[in-house]
Amino acid sequence: MSLLNFGKKQESCRCHGNTDETTDGLQKVVLVGSPNVGKSVVFGYLTGRYVTVSNYPGTTVDVTRGKGRLGDKEFEIIDTPGMYSLLPITEEERVARSILLDENPAVVIQVADAKNIERMLHLTFQLMEAEAPVFLDLNLMDEAGRLGMKIDTGLLEKEIGIPVVATVATDGSGMDILKENITGFKNRTGRGVKYDKTVESAVQRLREMLRGEYRISKRAIALLLLQDDPDIKSMVRERMKDNYASLEEIVEETKKKYSQPLNYIITIARQREIMEIIKKVTVSSPAETLDFRERLSRLMMHPVAGIPILLLIIYGFYEFVGVLGAQVSVDFLEETVFGEYINPFVTGIVTSVIPWKVWQNLFVHEYGIITLGLRYAIAIILPVVSTFFIAFSIMEDSGYLPRLAMFIDRLFKKIGLNGRAVIPVVLGFGCDTMATMVTRTLETKRERIIATVLLSLAVPCSAQLGVILALLSGSIMGLWIFAGVMATVFLFTGFLAARIIPGEKPLFFMEVPPLRWPKLSNVFTKTYTRVEWYFKEVLPLFILASILIWAGKLTGVFDLLTNALSYPVALIGLPKEAATSFLYGFFRRDFGAAGLYDLKTAGLLDGIPLVVSVVTIALFMPCIAQFSMTIKERGWKMALSMAAFIFPFAFLTGYLVNLVLNGLGVVL
Amino acid sequence: MKCPLCGLEFREQDGVSGCKGCVVSGSCSLVKCPNCGYETPKEPGVIKFIRSLKKQKERKK
Repeated sequence: MSLLNFGKKQESCRCHGNTDETTDGLQKVVLVGSPNVGKSVVFGYLTGRYVTVSNYPGTTVDVTRGKGRLGDKEFEIIDTPGMYSLLPITEEERVARSILLDENPAVVIQVADAKNIERMLHLTFQLMEAEAPVFLDLNLMDEAGRLGMKIDTGLLEKEIGIPVVATVATDGSGMDILKENITGFKNRTGRGVKYDKTVESAVQRLREMLRGEYRISKRAIALLLLQDDPDIKSMVRERMKDNYASLEEIVEETKKKYSQPLNYIITIARQREIMEIIKKVTVSSPAETLDFRERLSRLMMHPVAGIPILLLIIYGFYEFVGVLGAQVSVDFLEETVFGEYINPFVTGIVTSVIPWKVWQNLFVHEYGIITLGLRYAIAIILPVVSTFFIAFSIMEDSGYLPRLAMFIDRLFKKIGLNGRAVIPVVLGFGCDTMATMVTRTLETKRERIIATVLLSLAVPCSAQLGVILALLSGSIMGLWIFAGVMATVFLFTGFLAARIIPGEKPLFFMEVPPLRWPKLSNVFTKTYTRVEWYFKEVLPLFILASILIWAGKLTGVFDLLTNALSYPVALIGLPKEAATSFLYGFFRRDFGAAGLYDLKTAGLLDGIPLVVSVVTIALFMPCIAQFSMTIKERGWKMALSMAAFIFPFAFLTGYLVNLVLNGLGVVL
Repeated sequence: MKCPLCGLEFREQDGVSGCKGCVVSGSCSLVKCPNCGYETPKEPGVIKFIRSLKKQKERKK
């Protein structure tokens, strides 16, 4: 999608209201801002009943337009799609920016959420840099007030240099002043951000070289070029023709002077400027004024108070997954459905149809595709994972996840780790493979390596966590020992990595939505889709593992490997049968854990050995898919180095846990 | 749709484009937030249909 295609208004549109309305010749007032800040309510106040909703040309993004009489003058009012930044990520943001660039607005109103003013001011600064005719509408002032936040709008106006209006659009407060600001609008140059010398010099050089007319300032164009904005690049390339190469040279030359991308350097400089302003213009009153929901929200993110809350949530998961998933559903499916019906039935058919024992073993008996692969997938993993996903969806829909990210961020900072590694780590609780891919979004090589090590070692994915919780069902002490060991390993590895791989500790900020009661429909949809996705992914792998085990048995490789593994397994105090489960664990941690579950059911694994085995297998690399992703993202050398560290480290940790628990005379 | 982790609002089309490099993207029905990478399940067709009916009704009003 090119900015240059956005010049004309769409001929045919999905309209309602007065379709004969014409907006030609009217001055345009454009509303911009993030989603859910109340733009549409402000739009409603300015326009009244008659509006048109149409797709922006060449896109499927809705843009709402209407007419509004303000004072004695009529304006065309445009409500743009949600926009977080002038540097777009989504198509909606591209459309919003195109309206700003191509529709020549007389007034731009940035509608902002007052309680998230710090995050909102990034767009304000970008609009001021672009020299857009903008003023700031600080909306949702009532919500900010309820949180104990006071904003001195007069001082803010002085600080940023453009008009600021405080509103509560839902009850109409401040809307008259907003209208007056539109009719009496006088364009002012807002406060600019002073970047470091290298960026400022590059901006200056680019500005001098830019030829042609642009609807936004050349400084903004230069900054967007430095941040590799593809639409702006193609627009400038078209206008500059052969001279574009020299601009590109400046951009490349500037990039080489930093270890982080320029987008990051520019954002951090802007954030510092914003923080200075925020300190001056906002006052937060004591927590007594906060309501219960907000207090709980803050406690969840607190580095100390957040710990018992997290433990309580883990306990809830444990009870739900351990009792409903493991004890009720697994027992029924494994003992009754597979044990009494499917396994004897299929074994009977296979042995009567296939006379050769070798081929029978591929489908049934101890390691057959049906009696092992399918049984593990359907009777053990499926019920455990389904109940886990129900609990996970409830947690996700309640808004706890961003709070968990903030909590981990604060914890990370205490051990000297950068906060942005939080995102892939939290994602890892969903799927480690995808989270490993997400590490590429981290800005520095240092962050990418640390996050990948943490994911590979100490973050069990949701499915693996589900089976582990099921394994520990009935042993609450075992659960806390497991949680304590994993947390220690996680923090110790992070602490060590942060010291071994030095570097800057960048800032981390994200939107924290309000806590809410989860919706049943959302929980159902998320659970259903996740179970379907997981099952599609896991079933072929379990079947493949059964085939490989069968082939390994035929060639003797399987026995060789289990014999070799029985030594470290014995060293950590486990029965030799556990070696087979650890071999499964090389395919997937949950496949290995399912093997351990089998041993537990057979009465071969309980007490300290059970906890030791769970800790050891949880520290394995997550699965073959995650390992191949690590190779893809970090290269063979790094992936193999990680594996060479992780597997011995897992056994060493198991050994130490066994030693300490036995030494202390712990009885489980 | 709204990302449950970072709060970014985006359309499903914007969320699928980030999955090209993934080894499991062929069988995966999750949508990836273009901002933070968090994955959310795609809405089943039935729910999308009900939502579109609701939206149409609101527009008519």
